Amino acid sequence: MEKLEIGLAGNPNVGKSTLFNGLTGMRQHVGNWPGKTVEKKEGTFKYNDYEIKVVDLPGNYSLTAYSIEEIVSRDYIVDEHPDVIVNIVEAANLERNLYLTVQMLELGANVVLALNMNKAADDKGYKINADKLSKLLGIPVVKFEAIDDTGREELLQTIVKASKSPNNVINRLEYGSEIDEHIGQLEKIVNEDISGIDAPSSWIALKLMEDDDEVVEKIKESGKGQRVLSEAKKIRGHLSGIFGDDADAAITDARYGFIAGLMQESVKKPKIDKVTRSDLIDRIVTNKYLGIPIFLLIMWLTFQITFTIGDPLGGYIEEGFGLLGEAITASLGEGFLTSFLVDGIIGGVGGVLVFVPIIFLLFLILSVLEDSGYLARAAFVMDRFMHKLVGLHGKSFIPMILGFGCAVPGIMATRTLENERDRFLTMLIVPFMSCSARLPVYTLIVAAFFTAYQGWVIFSLYLLGIVVAIIVASIFKKTIFKGMSAPFVMELPPYRLPTVKGAIIHMWERGVLFLRKAGTIILAVSIIIWALSSLPIGVDYASQESVTGQIGTALSPIFAPLGFGEWQATVAIIYGFLAKEVVVSTFGILYGVGEEATTEEDAGFIAAIQSLFTPLSAYAYLVFVLLYIPCLATLATIKRETNSWKWPAFAAGYTFVVAYMVSFIVFQGGSLLGFA
Amino acid sequence: MMTLAMGNADEKLKILQVGHGEKFKKRLSDMGIYKDAQVKIIKNDIPGPLIIDIKGSRLILGRGQAQKIMVEGV
Repeated sequence: MEKLEIGLAGNPNVGKSTLFNGLTGMRQHVGNWPGKTVEKKEGTFKYNDYEIKVVDLPGNYSLTAYSIEEIVSRDYIVDEHPDVIVNIVEAANLERNLYLTVQMLELGANVVLALNMNKAADDKGYKINADKLSKLLGIPVVKFEAIDDTGREELLQTIVKASKSPNNVINRLEYGSEIDEHIGQLEKIVNEDISGIDAPSSWIALKLMEDDDEVVEKIKESGKGQRVLSEAKKIRGHLSGIFGDDADAAITDARYGFIAGLMQESVKKPKIDKVTRSDLIDRIVTNKYLGIPIFLLIMWLTFQITFTIGDPLGGYIEEGFGLLGEAITASLGEGFLTSFLVDGIIGGVGGVLVFVPIIFLLFLILSVLEDSGYLARAAFVMDRFMHKLVGLHGKSFIPMILGFGCAVPGIMATRTLENERDRFLTMLIVPFMSCSARLPVYTLIVAAFFTAYQGWVIFSLYLLGIVVAIIVASIFKKTIFKGMSAPFVMELPPYRLPTVKGAIIHMWERGVLFLRKAGTIILAVSIIIWALSSLPIGVDYASQESVTGQIGTALSPIFAPLGFGEWQATVAIIYGFLAKEVVVSTFGILYGVGEEATTEEDAGFIAAIQSLFTPLSAYAYLVFVLLYIPCLATLATIKRETNSWKWPAFAAGYTFVVAYMVSFIVFQGGSLLGFA
Repeated sequence: MMTLAMGNADEKLKILQVGHGEKFKKRLSDMGIYKDAQVKIIKNDIPGPLIIDIKGSRLILGRGQAQKIMVEGV
């Protein structure tokens, strides 16, 4: 069995992942590129006598040194020497897609060009002559469809063939006599002076003319780059003199010029642009007046579906853990081990696993919306509001919406934001969206105090979360993320029918990450909290004498100005850090209602809660629960996504301050106004 | 000469100048928005971003960004 390695490259949204999933199925491994926060997907499959390893490169428009994704891609081509690079391009979008292709050819990659979504090109009236294009570029060009098996066999054959006889077509790229001449000139000096950089010298020359930071840095490191660098600088000055623009703009122009030439010869376009089905749908979906109602309707449906199906499923999991707990208690009897398993592990990890169905369903619907192309429209529709209110652009709105279900998928969805500062800012405000875990807390307290205004009180909390998020975002935008407003440009892909397989794989990937990464941390902290609640030996679990109880008692004065200075309220807040809905079960345990804590109807329990709070302090408590430190799973996700402890630590710290301040204002302000 | 943000739907325009910083200018050119390129405006509702057609593909471009791109009619 012979081994081959191929890299899948292409612009975002061209069907790269679809092909990757189609080839590798579930035999995938998701990790990070070494030392980078960029996700790396690998997989293997067998084809005839070959075992083929596939690496899914990040979706890129270019191979400059401006983004980590682009650097990752070009380092992969240079350092890993994959046998073949399969460059997937959207046939209807060929001209713009070829910009990346050309840059991979500059790097000397052994490219197979795979034209995807040919039907859409036909609809637009494009006639692409693949043979002609192949002859002009000197690389194989194959038409295929990523969503089904059309052309798959031919593509695989071509890949194997290309691996046997690699094509290096650097010499075919023509950027006009002026630029070509300078590349040659500089290339000569690179050949003479520079060794040890594993990339074509013509590419190094070209990158130096573009003033590529990374390449310049590498040349400097080599120690013998003075002559090359000064020559490159001279050429840059010369080019900008001739073209009246930066040298790299001139090179960009030359690349597009070369591509325009290719297109001229190999593609026939209709004289008048045809109106496609996508255009017709967009006339309604992105309409000035209809766009927002349609968006709201889709979001409403998303939540309806998620919770209608997900809640009962979560209930089964909860029951399952309940039964498991009982079974353990029955077989082991009351004791230290039982307490460890039931209170510690099941109470902690089980409490979080209850949300798995909701999270998976949200991911599934999100994947469908994303794959169909709708999310890009949502970003378009919401941009003006986000801009005015938050200073973020439309794309950031999607994670915030998801945050109403659960902050974890919301934070993971910030991956679609290419600007790191926007990502971090969005991550910081997503936890203010009132997630489903907070609802049981509201329900309990509302049942005890605000039966007459139930809906309004809960609604006010959702609204407060949004208002606080907007205020916090605009403050951050003026302080820590100052002057870094990200420009907004994104592709609007044509509508596509999402595939079941693609959506499920999407959902699975994201969901499993949540289970695995967050799960380990939650387990660890569950054990710590359990230990603190059981010690010193002999105390009742989570009683005032336990370490937790003592900590609660010691810390409770901090919360006295907010109206809830009792130790039980403090302990519930500490536990709520594990998962917000744990606040409810904590009260249950503290008041001896038992393990089955969802006892909103229990009159004795309600009375106990009523003795703990006044209506005003109860509302201040709800406000605090809404805003304070994101739950452990959320912080673990922020850690994972930012690859640093700094951001989760900051998120925990500042949300505590915000929660304290707002609760303080609510309670003290309310007291002044005569509420009690 | 006018800014891209002033163009009307269905208008075909040629880009004369992209008045953005180096980094974003690079990003725009990678996506097909560069000096001498032709664009067609698909949607330009005030307020809000624009939808434009570049070489047959659709891009959403923020209004603020479009205001810094100079164009002329073709």
